[in-house]
Amino acid sequence: MSTILEQKCPCCGGAVEFNTGVQKLKCPYCDTEFDITAMPEDTANQVEQISWNSQGSQWGAGETDGMSVYACNSCGGEIVADSTTGATTCPYCGNQVVMKGQFSGALRPDLVIPFKLDKKAAKEALKKHISTKKFVPKSFLADNRLEEVKGVYVPHWLFTCDAIGNANYKATKVKKWSDENYDYTETSYFDVYRSGNIGFDNIPVDGSTKMPDDLMESVEPFDLSQAVDFNTAYLAGYLADKYDVTAEESMPRANERIRQSIIDSFKETVKGYDEVENQSANMNVANGLYKYALYPVWLLSTKWNGENFTFAMNGQTGKFVGNIPTDKKAVTKASLLLGAGIGALIYGLLWLIELF
Amino acid sequence: MTKKFVAILIAVIISLSMVISASAYTYQYIEDPAGNLTYDEIEELEAYAEKIESTYGICIMLGIARDTDGMSDSEYAQKIYTDNTDNENGFILVHNDSESTYGMFTSGNAEEIFDEEAVSEMRDAYNSSNSYYGGISDYYKAAESLLASGETASDNAQAVTTDDDTSEEKDGVGIIWIPVSLGIGLLIGFLIINSIASKNKSVYMQKNATVYTRPGSMIITGSADNFLYSNVERREKPKQENKN
Repeated sequence: MSTILEQKCPCCGGAVEFNTGVQKLKCPYCDTEFDITAMPEDTANQVEQISWNSQGSQWGAGETDGMSVYACNSCGGEIVADSTTGATTCPYCGNQVVMKGQFSGALRPDLVIPFKLDKKAAKEALKKHISTKKFVPKSFLADNRLEEVKGVYVPHWLFTCDAIGNANYKATKVKKWSDENYDYTETSYFDVYRSGNIGFDNIPVDGSTKMPDDLMESVEPFDLSQAVDFNTAYLAGYLADKYDVTAEESMPRANERIRQSIIDSFKETVKGYDEVENQSANMNVANGLYKYALYPVWLLSTKWNGENFTFAMNGQTGKFVGNIPTDKKAVTKASLLLGAGIGALIYGLLWLIELF
Repeated sequence: MTKKFVAILIAVIISLSMVISASAYTYQYIEDPAGNLTYDEIEELEAYAEKIESTYGICIMLGIARDTDGMSDSEYAQKIYTDNTDNENGFILVHNDSESTYGMFTSGNAEEIFDEEAVSEMRDAYNSSNSYYGGISDYYKAAESLLASGETASDNAQAVTTDDDTSEEKDGVGIIWIPVSLGIGLLIGFLIINSIASKNKSVYMQKNATVYTRPGSMIITGSADNFLYSNVERREKPKQENKN
């Protein structure tokens, strides 16, 4: 059995939550506010060892892999979660609980960026996101149902390093001139080489397999200057996962982004050419460091025509992303109408040119 | 008696002055320092030449010379022409009466009409009559005829070109350019609409980590730009047909 932690109000004993507006813990029952530092993160009387014995049929071999069972401190209800869940809500009493063991010892995050925006802001952002898009199926606008809105602290690995690299580019210059009878085009080819150093700070890589990588990278960037030292109190009221992708497993993605940055940054120093194309690049990393941090993300799920659509909002900056279905018939119709209009315009212009 | 004498004297003076003025006066189109033409003949020919110039915009002159001041006939023709008119389009034939030679000068648009054959025709016209007046009259008639035929040819050429243009409008703009315009329009429309529709997709992997670059940390330590080779492509210009 695992141990769980609940942040209790010292005044009334109710489960407190982190409030984004005041950036403090707040009791939803008596409205008392507490500083994060005032709350004991882990005390003996808050942690209980609860043992349960299995009744009835037994789980088969391998069936419980990746699953953890917790007991709610408030109501005693059994909370079944996967092995990476670090904070969740009791399905029986609704109290917010934090699985203490998921963030202790080597699993303890170095930093956390607290939520700045609440659920209401996330819902409004979703409405705005959908309403500003074109060619959205009418039935999607009318029938899509908001299934779930949840604030999740997503584990990220942050990589800091000095990258030393070099890159080769194929560059071309084009010169044109004419005489009485001919047009001439001279194309000159160059091999361009650049080497140098670039420093990178806190490149994030999603440390959770549950979160789609493209969705997490789309809500970047986060402002790490607003990050604070980790405290479990920040997790109150939100879901949280511990990492299940190690730092070593995340490094190739960080290296890939660093390598592309070197190619792109060095390319900007290749000037005076008409075209520049990268041919090869090499990279080494020095002074590499990594940190473990929790980033705040609002996840919103909608359902339409039996298909799930997941949207994400940066819980700090409000950047909202998510793919919306496109009405292909409307796109085809609009393309044909606009194309015909432009075609008529071109033809009219040709007539005018002929006339004058 | 005195009155009669005065009247005769005045008539003689007037007649002499007219002859003298006819021979000595410098006209615009006719140069006749030797006085081969009478005043009335010169006036008539000048009016004819003026009419030709106003109709066709070409100045036609004729000179009858006995002394070319040491210049060749052609040089003398050019001198007379430039001394008497500012019209850049014109032709002059000078007949050196003492040596029976001819000089000519052509400028501007007149060069297109008064080619070698036309000049020969003009000279023949000038020599066709026994009198100076008759010859010069024929000379101007030949000039007018040449100018008129030249203008007709130009009009015909223009008319042919206009017909061609009209048929091109009917065949080119009307038929060929309709599907071409529509095709270009559909392509542009497709690109614009799909560009708008593509904004419905906002979930992508980041390409690089440039946003996490430490400010001022990029240092270029090595740089080389090496020329490899070049090639020159030559393309013939499309020839434009001259409508005229």
